[in-house]
Amino acid sequence: MNVARDNILRRVHAALSAEALRPVAPTSAPVFPPITDPEARFRAEFVALRGEIIENAATLRAFVNGFAKIATDGSELTNKIIGEPNAGVRECDLGVTGCDYLVAQTGSIIVSTLSAGGRALSVLPPTHLVIAQHEQMVGDLASATALLRKRYDKHWPSALSVITGPSRTADIEKILVMGAHGPKRLALYFAD
Amino acid sequence: MRVALFIPCFIDQLFPNVGIAMATVLRRLQVDVYYPPDQTCCGQPAFNTGYWDEARALARRYVEIFADADAVVSPSGSCTAMVRNFYPELLGKPTQATTHTYEFSEFLVKHLGVTDVGARFPQRVTYHDSCHALRELRLQDEPRQLLRHVQGLELVEMNQAETCCGFGGTFSVKFPMISYAMDEVKVSSIQNTGARYVVSTDSSCLMQIDGYLRRLNLPIKTISLAEVLAST
Amino acid sequence: MTTPTLLQFERDATVKAADLRHRAVIQKNIGTYNIAVANGRTRFADWQNARSHAAAIKWETINHLDRYLEQFEQNVLTNGGHVFWAETAADAREHVLQLARRHGVQKVVKSKSMTTEEIHLNEALEAAGIHSIETDLGEYICQIRGERPYHIVTPVMHLTKADIAQTFQEKLGAPLTDSAEELAMIARAKLRHEFMTADMGITGGNFAIADTGMIALTENEGNARLSFSLPRVHVAIIGIEKLIPRLEDLALLWPLLAASGTGQALTAYNSLIGGPRQEREADGPQEFHVILLDNGRTRLLADGEQRDALHCIRCGACLNACPVYSNIGGHAYGTTYQGPIGSVITPHLPDAQEWSHLPYASSLCGACTEVCPVRIDLHHHLLHNRRNAIQRRFDGPIQRFLFRAWFWAMQSPVRYAVAAKLGNIALRRGLAHLLLKPWTAKREFPTPPKQSFRDYWRQHERRA
Repeated sequence: MNVARDNILRRVHAALSAEALRPVAPTSAPVFPPITDPEARFRAEFVALRGEIIENAATLRAFVNGFAKIATDGSELTNKIIGEPNAGVRECDLGVTGCDYLVAQTGSIIVSTLSAGGRALSVLPPTHLVIAQHEQMVGDLASATALLRKRYDKHWPSALSVITGPSRTADIEKILVMGAHGPKRLALYFAD
Repeated sequence: MRVALFIPCFIDQLFPNVGIAMATVLRRLQVDVYYPPDQTCCGQPAFNTGYWDEARALARRYVEIFADADAVVSPSGSCTAMVRNFYPELLGKPTQATTHTYEFSEFLVKHLGVTDVGARFPQRVTYHDSCHALRELRLQDEPRQLLRHVQGLELVEMNQAETCCGFGGTFSVKFPMISYAMDEVKVSSIQNTGARYVVSTDSSCLMQIDGYLRRLNLPIKTISLAEVLAST
Repeated sequence: MTTPTLLQFERDATVKAADLRHRAVIQKNIGTYNIAVANGRTRFADWQNARSHAAAIKWETINHLDRYLEQFEQNVLTNGGHVFWAETAADAREHVLQLARRHGVQKVVKSKSMTTEEIHLNEALEAAGIHSIETDLGEYICQIRGERPYHIVTPVMHLTKADIAQTFQEKLGAPLTDSAEELAMIARAKLRHEFMTADMGITGGNFAIADTGMIALTENEGNARLSFSLPRVHVAIIGIEKLIPRLEDLALLWPLLAASGTGQALTAYNSLIGGPRQEREADGPQEFHVILLDNGRTRLLADGEQRDALHCIRCGACLNACPVYSNIGGHAYGTTYQGPIGSVITPHLPDAQEWSHLPYASSLCGACTEVCPVRIDLHHHLLHNRRNAIQRRFDGPIQRFLFRAWFWAMQSPVRYAVAAKLGNIALRRGLAHLLLKPWTAKREFPTPPKQSFRDYWRQHERRA
């Protein structure tokens, strides 16, 4: 017996016996402008957020070589592209993960515990590298949420994050500073 | 069309020239105006303070007094908003008088289709949007259109024309320190335009702004839109 | 009615309203914000329609709240989480303490949450010997300064770099610096250690999704993510009004919150938490607890006229639009929830009389209503609250008498004319300085002309 639960639900139910005015009804016109070229849109958004796109395998090699301690999500794709990790998530200076989807509308990368090796690996390391494939690109958030539901509805992972650029804060005099707590750098490499 | 003049209590007592100017312009445009002398106050001070029973009684009075008018015109955005937007809530329904009450510039532009009233006012002028006119009556373009057609008038926009001057009725005396700060910010915006005059549809706003200007002896004057339009 | 709270408000407002440096800082910040938001809105094909959609989503949820609460709870439980229903702030605090005791918690990391402010959680934790650390940079700064957050979205809007550097030097022994980046890195390094050694992470929740049993968390820094990823217990405290029906609703609400809150397309991290770590997952807390908080919300829910105040998504736009707020700042309100939304909901709390002045501390300009992304009728609710205050006789006998007298005069043209004449004489004698002191202390009051409009008309129309 849960007294508090019953009390609250009872109060809610009783409260709703009074009618509230409906607000102005929305129209069926689209809320967001259509996205004609998702790849271009994603690139523009991601770069404007100070995300770094690693253009090819050579650049990737140079990028990774800049880090001594690398943690990965241990997935097949990451192993193939990057190789084995040599550090744990807490000590690494680079964390490498996959992702679920890329969202062109906002230049976002969607990760989950299942696509990115848990919760911490995509937020604790000072630099986060995402290995993605072009087929993971979707136009807008509406499509992304629909696809996530299709993929995970039977058994959702316990955590997901929509990552839109590196960590940032403007708390101090509205001056933008990167890397407040999460990664200061966010990089993306297309494996295909 | 018989147009009744609704002259708010504070304009009747403190700024009668505003009402006279409005009547003059309307007559110049061949509008048949009359003034029901029994009118007193729209009840907004009571309404805004929370005395809705009293406000309701005054609303009923207004509706009776102006029942026969084809249109009611007032040189006050805030009193017009009270009648058009809030009387229906008080009275439970709109009436002829409440739906046909208009602010002066609104009446000229939207109902008479006039933007040039043959006025002349060769001064540099900036326009302050009264909150009620702007947000309750949705008047932003209309007063500016009228000003742009005044001969010799140079209209400059201030930054933050839409920011409240700080009057707010009894707010100005209940929380005078906040009201004063808002007044100061508004005057600062006005000063930055280099204008000699600040104009508004609402004399209550102008009274607030003028109060600051006069106490500090600043070389800027306030003038109502009606008085500008009546100038020749 | 003059309460001690009103007197305090008047004192604080007087000080802040006259503080030109404070005014300059706040208004500069708001200026930056306004530019960002104007830009952010251009991402919408139709901003007004977006607001209507969001209002409809919240209307649907709030007006069927019992159903959605039950659905949410069911899904959280199915996914291995726990749900606690807290009728009061005290119940919520007590439950957190119980959980902390049960799990041997000595250190808590917290992400920004107005709800935890509302229930005064930190004080309770500290009193129980549990070290609770605010991890949002602005909140962290407030915590070590011993101040309450200044604004829903930007807690240290009122501080300069120099203020913060000073604080870090005094409290953390950090070297003085003029660089915002260096200041942020000082906090980052200190807090990183805390994240890794904390026993419990406490967050709020921006939304609670009924059909998946998830909490949604919106942030830019990553401290919420670290708070729900590293410690072994995660507690999320949310007001019951945070519910939304479906995951898909976030495709609108996330961008809307970002656009109105900061002018961004999306904040850096928008996360969804549905439960504790699963067997197939690499990490995460062992336990996930959601605390559903009432604390007066059902009272506001019962007010059909003002129920839409519960639609609030805590974006802070109304604060930034409010000219009162931009002149007196957040602390002067004395409440957890400040600005227009604060003045709307605070009078619905049990000590309504104490806060009955807040709805009056507004010129009713309506800028708040104009910017609210979920179309709450904010400034009209201030009027409703004023009416309620009078109905409950929170006005003093003097004010009541004055309004009765004024009303009596206004009901008859003859009485009006007599009263007006008396006023006219008094003011032409220069008595404004006595009668209208709150005005004339700093502003001139107009001297009425001899002849009123009605006198003029009577005189000239007779001739015409």
